[in-house]
Amino acid sequence: MTARFRLRQAWIIARLELARVFLSRRGLWVYGLALLPAALFLIHGADVRYRLAQYRRAGVAPAAVLEPVHAGMTEEQVVQAAGKAPEDRQWRRRKWTEREEGGKRISESKEVRARRMVYFDGQRRFIFYFEDGVLRDLHRVQLMNFQEDREVFAALFGYYYLRLAIFFGCLGIFLNLFRGEMMDKTLHFWLLAPVRRDVLLAGKFLAGWAAATAIFSGGALAAFAAMLWPHMGAEGQAYWQGPGPMHAFRYALAAAAGCAGYGSLFLAASLWIRNPVVPAAVLLLWEAARGFLPALLQKLTVLYYLESLCPAPAPLDPEMPALLRLLLAPAAPLDPWLAVAGVAVFSALVLRAAAAGVRRLEINYSTD
Amino acid sequence: MSAPEIVFENVSKFYGDVLGVNRVYLRIPPGLTSIVGPNGAGKSTLMNLMCGLISPDRGEIRVLGIPPRDPERLMRITGYATQFDAAPRWATGFDFVVSSLLLFGYSATLAERLAWAALERVGMTEAAHRKVSAYSKGMRQRVRLAQAIAHDPQVLVLDEPLNGLDPVVRAETIALFRQLAAEGRHVIVSSHVLHEVDSISDRVVLLANGSVIAEGDIRGVREEIREHPSQYLVRCADPPRLAALLFERAPVAEVRMVEEDGALLVLTRDRRAFSRALTALAAGGVDIESVVPADENVNAVYEYLIGGGA
Repeated sequence: MTARFRLRQAWIIARLELARVFLSRRGLWVYGLALLPAALFLIHGADVRYRLAQYRRAGVAPAAVLEPVHAGMTEEQVVQAAGKAPEDRQWRRRKWTEREEGGKRISESKEVRARRMVYFDGQRRFIFYFEDGVLRDLHRVQLMNFQEDREVFAALFGYYYLRLAIFFGCLGIFLNLFRGEMMDKTLHFWLLAPVRRDVLLAGKFLAGWAAATAIFSGGALAAFAAMLWPHMGAEGQAYWQGPGPMHAFRYALAAAAGCAGYGSLFLAASLWIRNPVVPAAVLLLWEAARGFLPALLQKLTVLYYLESLCPAPAPLDPEMPALLRLLLAPAAPLDPWLAVAGVAVFSALVLRAAAAGVRRLEINYSTD
Repeated sequence: MSAPEIVFENVSKFYGDVLGVNRVYLRIPPGLTSIVGPNGAGKSTLMNLMCGLISPDRGEIRVLGIPPRDPERLMRITGYATQFDAAPRWATGFDFVVSSLLLFGYSATLAERLAWAALERVGMTEAAHRKVSAYSKGMRQRVRLAQAIAHDPQVLVLDEPLNGLDPVVRAETIALFRQLAAEGRHVIVSSHVLHEVDSISDRVVLLANGSVIAEGDIRGVREEIREHPSQYLVRCADPPRLAALLFERAPVAEVRMVEEDGALLVLTRDRRAFSRALTALAAGGVDIESVVPADENVNAVYEYLIGGGA
């Protein structure tokens, strides 16, 4: 048998397996994991667009008129400058104040006339709050913030996709490749084919990887598109004609690399260990503790390579506890192509160990 | 050069503390061989070992010179229809057979032609394009058989292949086994229904508690266990009198009256001497209607071997 013939066999196995992996009832939850962020971004986008349309219908005031409005102005001055507010509400409220008199704190209340006027400049809402006809407080609310949405996406990709969704999704997909067939009592069909066991492993891994990549890279790209959707004005167009496509590609690449890295590990675990939940938990802890590991050991985590593939590091909240910051802090970035090569070498080594496991695999449906 | 054989050399297999098979020595020549034994005797273990689904803890197996740990070569010459009644539910019967043939390197056209021919041989062409999940047990059995024979293997291993088949299909399937065996292939069939195989097999391998307790053709097996008495059913006009005469003049171990048949069940350790004595009694005027060997079928032999008989 030639290497070419064996490659063809692996390809045929992958093709035959692909439909099973995609349509497995046991793996339907994986789609939920992958598509949840896209659904959230879509809901957010639809909500923003709906509100924008609503505010536009109510009336738009020029930003140049609204910007100079400041505390201390009267209602009349504001209305004179900006016109009648699309949203205008008045009510009476009791206002409490405290003062000191002879070393005592005395609380007093008086009734004030409150008024809330909201203007819209096409992008932002200007919320003016008056008491007894004088502007006391004002807020500007940006309805669409592209920079902020991109940061949210980076955080979501780094914390949700890489640390959770791809990890658990691959656990579900790759454990099923052999263990699922053992449970369905169909694995013997593969073992009775004139195919070397390592070729069978390669074919099944290829099917699992292709399916996981389609699901998670597809899910990440769908979320990315859903994030961009409400911004497809000038700002979004400029981004899409600039670094946007490369960013999308790198997110998809990071997801694909994650599927290869975690997939190979779970495939090997399913062949070597009867109950792979324990090694999966250990692996999750190991990956989570990457921030505590010395530089050399960090290279033995999948996350180390994946983070280098992301176009932007996941942002860290400055008020986050120090311990959590240490855990989540990104590793020193690696050249993206080195990161791809790192994941490939890592996966190849793990699959080599898995090949030894598949060679000693026996059909024993009664105990599995 | 010796004939191509399937060889088991001192093969043992344990599932943890549970015995699968123990110290099996076997040489299976071409032809139709039946592996017979009750549930748990080790029939499936023997077949799974032969096809590499499990590995022996001890000993060595060669299928026409190929070790089972080399599926790439072994499964090219071997077809195995297992007892597992689970076929991939995503596929139609036709797709199922075609997909397994594609792994042999056949082109799609040739794989489809071979699959169709195999389905035709097992009488499954009408249901070929229905989903396997919609098949009856007998149909699943037949489609697995089609998959096993589709690549024209030299060695065909069939675990309980007649289970779930209706009488007509069963007869056709047995005819197919005979035809394949007559073509010089190794056809190895397992069964725990003894009468099912004793009429179709060239050879039997009797298994009990993981050990081969006899092998060969049915008569040969009988010879092999000479320490057990032979049984004859003797019909006559006066059974009590004949019983007394037999004890007196023939080497019999035991004589039992079979009340409802008006016959004697005679056990003897020396068939030739018994035959001579019986001939002499008949010549002397004792009215003997018929003498029939009562144990020259697998069932009787098996009863002896596992302690259910004499």
